[in-house]
Amino acid sequence: MLSYLIRRLLLAGLTLLLVTFAVYALIRNMPGTPLTINMAEADPSKRISKEEQLRLERTYGLDKPWYIGYFIWLNKVRKGDLGFSMFQKEPVARSIAKRIGPTLLLSGTSLFLAYVLAVPLGLYFSGRSGKLDERAISLAMYMLYSLPSFVAALMLLTLFYQRLKGTDWALPLQGMISSNYAEMSPWSKLIDIGRHLILPLTCFTYGGLAYDSRFIKANMEEAMRQDYVRTARAKGNGYWRIIVVHAFRNTLIPFVTVLGLSLPALLGGAVILEGIFGWPGMGQLFFASVGNRDYDSIMGLTLMFTTLTLLGQLLADILYAFVDPRVTFS
Amino acid sequence: MSLAPAPIPTATAPRGKVRPAPGFWSDAWRRFCRKPFAMAGLIYVVLLGVVALAAPAIVGTKPVICRYRGNIYFPCLGYLHPRLENPIFRRDKFRNPFYKSLQEKDPQSWAIYPLIYQDPERRVGKDEVDGLRPPKGATASSLTAPAAQSSPGPPATEPSFGDPFGNPSGAPPEGTTPQPAPGEFGNPFGDPFAGNADPTAAEKDIDDGPPNAYHWMGVANANRIDVLAIIVHGTKIAMLIGFVTVGIAAVIGITLGAIAGYVGGWIDIIISRLTEFFMSIPVLILIIALLAVINKPSIWQIMLVLGVTGWTSICRLTRGEFMKLRTLEYVTAARALGANVPRILFRHILPNAMAPVLVPITFGIAGAILTESGLSLLGLGSPPDTPSWGGLLNRGRENFETMWWLILFPGIAIFTTVLAYNLIGEGLQEATDPRLREGTK
Repeated sequence: MLSYLIRRLLLAGLTLLLVTFAVYALIRNMPGTPLTINMAEADPSKRISKEEQLRLERTYGLDKPWYIGYFIWLNKVRKGDLGFSMFQKEPVARSIAKRIGPTLLLSGTSLFLAYVLAVPLGLYFSGRSGKLDERAISLAMYMLYSLPSFVAALMLLTLFYQRLKGTDWALPLQGMISSNYAEMSPWSKLIDIGRHLILPLTCFTYGGLAYDSRFIKANMEEAMRQDYVRTARAKGNGYWRIIVVHAFRNTLIPFVTVLGLSLPALLGGAVILEGIFGWPGMGQLFFASVGNRDYDSIMGLTLMFTTLTLLGQLLADILYAFVDPRVTFS
Repeated sequence: MSLAPAPIPTATAPRGKVRPAPGFWSDAWRRFCRKPFAMAGLIYVVLLGVVALAAPAIVGTKPVICRYRGNIYFPCLGYLHPRLENPIFRRDKFRNPFYKSLQEKDPQSWAIYPLIYQDPERRVGKDEVDGLRPPKGATASSLTAPAAQSSPGPPATEPSFGDPFGNPSGAPPEGTTPQPAPGEFGNPFGDPFAGNADPTAAEKDIDDGPPNAYHWMGVANANRIDVLAIIVHGTKIAMLIGFVTVGIAAVIGITLGAIAGYVGGWIDIIISRLTEFFMSIPVLILIIALLAVINKPSIWQIMLVLGVTGWTSICRLTRGEFMKLRTLEYVTAARALGANVPRILFRHILPNAMAPVLVPITFGIAGAILTESGLSLLGLGSPPDTPSWGGLLNRGRENFETMWWLILFPGIAIFTTVLAYNLIGEGLQEATDPRLREGTK
């Protein structure tokens, strides 16, 4: 077990190095640097002189070729310094930390809701397989699964922001808090965030819910055909006892893998949805960083995403062995 | 190194009864046909393919077929590729609108125009559309005009394209009249605007607003192009994106997976690490960074990027299948016969490993269409001048408070297409997976 873990971690470390190296190579070869992009867009007349640019490049270490720049970055990270975001004008670590709260609020709630709703739904389905209500809900779930979240987001915005403007049902357009958030009482602060959260949360959740419930249903159908379920039925177990204790417990194995692999989604944010709703999460930060050639920010985020992805894979494998005693580390 | 003897679906050849059974694929096809939803998806996709190919004959301003100076031409092919249009029209300095030039340069000419006279690349206003109509019929319709105009109401056509234009391959039915007459470029309101002089303000609305009799799905704000025209011509892009992207991904994934699974050893380790490497990079990061490197990518470069980043799941599955199949007798037999490795890989093993690999390929097509429209929404997708669904959505997003039709119609187009591919994918899965087959009642 221990040697397996060590080997996996070493391998993950190697992958991490390769990924960051590749991404660094990519972004350093994008046209434009953080200096030129910022200046040119802000005001053409303020474009900096050649000497000034060279001086700045030296300060930020951009005068060196990218492969040397990578090792400089790596060395900084080794010391626990993620660098300085030229676009956000603050250390990368801080600008990422600021986004963790909103990102988790959205994705954490969404993942939680999706699972909490999907499990009973999936169990209910497998009990009523083939009946009219099951087929209707299954079909609806299937349609939802194919409905792109950004289309749903735009349609919901048209409905709740534009059509229902002025009524009690109206929902805010963008962001996480209203402009007068600071003056609110704690209670209305909570309501304010909730009102901002509803639409992004809906769009974030329904796809996962549809996927999870179908996933559970498929696994349950498989489990219900197994001999041990027949045995349990023959012993005279109650219906729900068979469903929950005998069948569902055995479907947890693939379910746990999905759980582990959703770890990066927790902090990964969603570039498109966050862009539509103006949600101050990781996705938006990443998108803005790429647009502004904010190298250190991109690298910091890539480091975080990739670490989470690798950790998620490792976690999935470990959990897998944990719930399925047949699996051993070899 | 790998743990997890994952319960991979065992897709061994169907065993059992010893009657001269139908082959695996004809059997799978029979099962597939029995699934109404999957079949509906397949029919829809085929229909989309037809629409994509016949788009110039459905919506356009260039004649499907015309006679000019004694020769027959098909100018509408220029929409598919500029090269396909006969250079004579450029040499003779044809301008927009086409019908005017045609009439001026050769009064003896005739032409049959597409079902709907609109253009996906430039603005076609009310005047131009009316200019093509026979100058009559000002009576009887004047009453209906204001009603049809003032109520934005439901769009004139069902957004699911296909049915309104019944047989897209066929040109307008009766259009062989010796002068440029549109057979019927379909106005369901029975020509309400013909010859009726409306106030200019209302006229402006027609070419710059919600769905109406002239623009069945409204007008896109930028350049005031007809939305229906963009959606019909955007079908081509959507189809291309799906097939080319997944085609690239499948070629890479199947080749690498086949080699890794069959050869094993060091090569397997290297390819597996490579797969893991690509799976560890968040896909969207990779895509956005690559697109930024390309800087103003063309639609083909986008497909390339999506394909190059999307092969990992196919590779993994293929590898698993090949590892399983390479130990079977028929492979040994092929080797004993002296077949070389590529032949064993692609002629002997691949046909038997194809079924499970086809499923992620189908889902991959849906995913590619989704990703491309998502990228367009971010302003990273297809170039703004190419007619695409995602591009429409992007404009709809910029104006979502006023222009719902820029969201609804492309949204429905993307949704139905993705749904169709998902239905096909699931049907395939159920038709080819022996595990699911045993369970069917």
